[in-house]
Amino acid sequence: MSACATIGPVFAKGPRAPRLGRQRSGTVVVADGDGRWEALMVAAQAGDARAYDLLLRDCLPLLRGIARRRIADAHEAEDAVQDTLLTVHRMLATYDPSRPLRPWLIAITERRCVDRLRRRGRGAGRETPIDDHAETLAAPATETGEDRIAGRQLREAVAELPESQRTALRLAKLEDLPLADAAAKSGLSVGALKVATHRALKTLRRRFGAEDKP
Amino acid sequence: MTATDDLISRLSADLRPVRRLAPPMRRAAGWLGFATLLIAVAVAVFGLRPDFAERLRDASEVVQWVASAATGVLATIAAFQLSLPDRSPRWILLPLPAAAVWVATLGLGCLAEVARVGPAALWPGFSPGCMAFVLGLGLPLAGSLVWMLRYAVAIRPVPVAVMGGLAGAALSAAGLWLFHELEGAAEALIWHAGMTLVVVGILLAFGRSWERREAEHGFTGA
Repeated sequence: MSACATIGPVFAKGPRAPRLGRQRSGTVVVADGDGRWEALMVAAQAGDARAYDLLLRDCLPLLRGIARRRIADAHEAEDAVQDTLLTVHRMLATYDPSRPLRPWLIAITERRCVDRLRRRGRGAGRETPIDDHAETLAAPATETGEDRIAGRQLREAVAELPESQRTALRLAKLEDLPLADAAAKSGLSVGALKVATHRALKTLRRRFGAEDKP
Repeated sequence: MTATDDLISRLSADLRPVRRLAPPMRRAAGWLGFATLLIAVAVAVFGLRPDFAERLRDASEVVQWVASAATGVLATIAAFQLSLPDRSPRWILLPLPAAAVWVATLGLGCLAEVARVGPAALWPGFSPGCMAFVLGLGLPLAGSLVWMLRYAVAIRPVPVAVMGGLAGAALSAAGLWLFHELEGAAEALIWHAGMTLVVVGILLAFGRSWERREAEHGFTGA
């Protein structure tokens, strides 16, 4: 059964007429003309996974557009889009089908972008841009051959970890995501993610002699 | 497949039916009904304060009571509206005029007591009995409101927490006035400010973890 066939009856409820909205950035946004997104969302609220998948993929360009206008760094913007999708997922129950979906999505996306920028701002205070040290890093006096070998060994050790442990390590430790977000992104449960992260760190410690071998 | 595509596939696979939230005005009315019931039960149990009739003749007290009740009602409406992503942030302005009158009357009460008793009036006395009244009414009011607003932490945590705190404090003040006399205006002011901060703190500290846990176990928006 197609998603549209599943959602057919909800059109009868009739979401509000399409209208023009103005974003904070000043760009005029034309609301979805035929109420398709609203209908897909109503079907998603009822548990229709196909309608939900279709809706999220359909609105991705809108979310990316907002994120990229707000956040210069493309990777960071894409992370904000993913944060938005997670929030949409958590807040499904708060959407009111009598109202257009687009402002609801825009508000969530903008909120997640602001959060990303804030988090980045806080992080920037603790971090030192690596570009400033390019010369230092290149200088043989400060980066010894031993350092380079250790770095390569670490990368190889990480590459040899099982896929689930590598993903868990990246999301929970390197990207420093909250556990629930990292779990959602990795497709693991929070418990499984914790176990995978713990095992990955243990393997690395063991390999580099920071922990006794069993 | 990109990480975002992959995420969408996982979210779709994880989808479960949700019970849609009732409109914010209906949710606000529901909570206000609960608050009114709680206050009515407290009045029925403890009876109206002995000097109730006398206090009703004092225009400034009546203004203060009306202002606190109005602040509670309007802040509740504002909190439920602000908790939804697509509602205007300007809802935060709704309770401000009533709150200004309420705080001003409390402040004037403090000043009048200082003029009458001296600076000692600013040092509140906390009797255990009084604390039981304040907490007994304030905690169920604040706790239930925080629980109903928990999903808002992902959108506007601070404005919703502040409005929720204000609503809880203002309605518990209005309720308490009917059956219990706080020792003085300074004490009342401190209790109400404290109650607001408690609600704000609880929602900001625990709201996100509650909301996450519910998201993992199927959000019903109760």
